[in-house]
Amino acid sequence: MLAVKTVGLTKRYKDLTAVDSLDLEVEQGELFSLLGVNGAGKTTTVRMLCCLAKATSGEAYVMGKNCDSDKAAVKPVIGISPQDTAVAPRLTVRENLMFMCRIYGFDKQKCEQRTGELIGALGMQKVADSRAKTLSGGWKRKLSIAMALISEPQVLFLDEPTLGLDVLARRELWRLIESLKGKTTIILTTHYMEEAQQLSDRIAIMIEGRIAAIGTLSEIEQQAGAEGLENAFVAIAERSAQQ
Amino acid sequence: MNRALAFTSRNIKELLRDPLGYIFCLGFPLIMLVIMTLVDQSIPKEAVTVFHIENLAPGVAVFGQMFVMLFTALNVSTDRSGTFLMRLYATPMTAADLTAGYIIPMFIISVIQAAITFAAAFVISVIIGSALSIGGMLMSMLALIPSALMFIGFGLLFGVLFNEKSAPGLCSIIISLGSFFGGIWFDAQRTGGVMLKICKCTPFYYCTKAARSAMALKFDGNGFVMPILIVVLCAVLMITLGSFSFSKKMRADLG
Repeated sequence: MLAVKTVGLTKRYKDLTAVDSLDLEVEQGELFSLLGVNGAGKTTTVRMLCCLAKATSGEAYVMGKNCDSDKAAVKPVIGISPQDTAVAPRLTVRENLMFMCRIYGFDKQKCEQRTGELIGALGMQKVADSRAKTLSGGWKRKLSIAMALISEPQVLFLDEPTLGLDVLARRELWRLIESLKGKTTIILTTHYMEEAQQLSDRIAIMIEGRIAAIGTLSEIEQQAGAEGLENAFVAIAERSAQQ
Repeated sequence: MNRALAFTSRNIKELLRDPLGYIFCLGFPLIMLVIMTLVDQSIPKEAVTVFHIENLAPGVAVFGQMFVMLFTALNVSTDRSGTFLMRLYATPMTAADLTAGYIIPMFIISVIQAAITFAAAFVISVIIGSALSIGGMLMSMLALIPSALMFIGFGLLFGVLFNEKSAPGLCSIIISLGSFFGGIWFDAQRTGGVMLKICKCTPFYYCTKAARSAMALKFDGNGFVMPILIVVLCAVLMITLGSFSFSKKMRADLG
C-alpha cells in the first residue's frame, strides 16, 4: 500500500489555483520532499493530506484512506509539525507531550512511557521541565516534531521544519529527521535546496501549484540537464516560466 | 470527553501561569471591593446603599466575571492566531471537544473567583462590624452560575469573531458598559427614567439584581425569579452562539 497517493488533487481559492492537478505517489518509509519557493503550493498540499483543507477537486489518500470522506481514519495515522512552532507556550516540554498523548486517548502509563521515550530519543532531557515559551527556536521545533511523533504516526508531515533556524540548530534538526528515516514515512516541505538534497529519498519540485519535476536527486539533475539541486531547480523553474 | 478534559487541563494550566490573569480576575475586583468599602465608610449610610458590603460583594463578583469573559476571548483568539489550533484540528479532536475545553476551565476559574471575592467580602464585613450571612453568600454564588456561563459565552464568541488584538479591546468596552448598566457602581433602581429603561434592556442589570437578591435571601418573583430566568436565557443563548460560531469557524478554517 502506498503511504500517500493523490489523483488530480486541486485547490482553488477564488481566482488563485494553489495546487493544480497534483498526481503523487509516496512509498511507505520514504522521505519525500516537496521543494518550491514561497507560494508554490507545498503547504496547501500538506494541508489537504492532513485533512486541514478540502480539495476543490481530485482525491487524496493517506495509508489508503480518503482524506476527505474518511478523515476519522486518516487523523490517527498522521502527525504534523506545522510551519510555526505550534506548542502550548506556558506548558513545559513534558506537559506538551503528555497533553498530546491524552488527546490520542493513551492511558496514564502509556502517556508517561511515550513521553519519556520521546524526551530520551530527541535528547530533550535538559529542557523537559522548561516551559515551551522559554525555549530557543531549535528546541521549539524539536518539541513540535516530538508532539507530531507522539502518536507513532505512519506518515509524518514536516512543514518547513527548519525555517528561520540558525545553521547549528538546522543541522541538529537534520540529524533528528535522518534518524527517523525508514521508521516512518516523512513528507517534508522546504525551500532550502541543501535540506532537500541532504535528507530526501525523492524530491518533487513544485512551481505554481504543479509538479515540474519529480524523482531522486540524480533523476532531477538528468531531467534538468544541470548538476546540483540548486542549478537543476533554477533550470526547471526557468523552463516552466517559458512554457 | 477525555479529549475535552485534556484540553481543559491544558487551558487551566495556561491561565494559572499567566500573571495577568491574577491581576485582572482577582486583584482588580478585590481592590475595587476594598476601595468601595472605604468610600461607603466615608459617606452617610443612607447616601449610596449600593456600596454597602451586602450589595457591593455580589456586584463585584459580577464585575469579576466580566474579566473572565476577557480572558476567554484572549485565550481563544490567541490560539486561533497561531497554528496550535491547526495542529489540534489534525488530531481526532472535534469542535465539541475544543469548545468544552475552553468553557469548562473558565467556569471553574469563575467559581473560584466568586468564592475568593465572597471570602474577602466576609472578612471586610466582619472588620466593619456588619457580618455577611453565609447562607446569603452561598445562594449568591449559586445565582452567579448562569451569569458566569453568559460571560464565558460572550468571551468565546468574541474570541472566535475577533483577533487577539481587537478581542480584548472589545471586551473592555463590554466591561465598562456592563459595570455601568449592571448597576454595579450606582443604584440603577433609584435613577429611574430612561437610564433605568436602558439598564433593563441589558442582561448585566439582571445579573447584578439576581445576585444581590440571592445575597439578601429574597427570592420573590420580581427581585429574583424574573432576573435569574433572563440571565439563564442569555447564558443559553450566548453559550450556543459562541459554540456555534466556533464550529462554523473551524469548518471555514478547514474549507
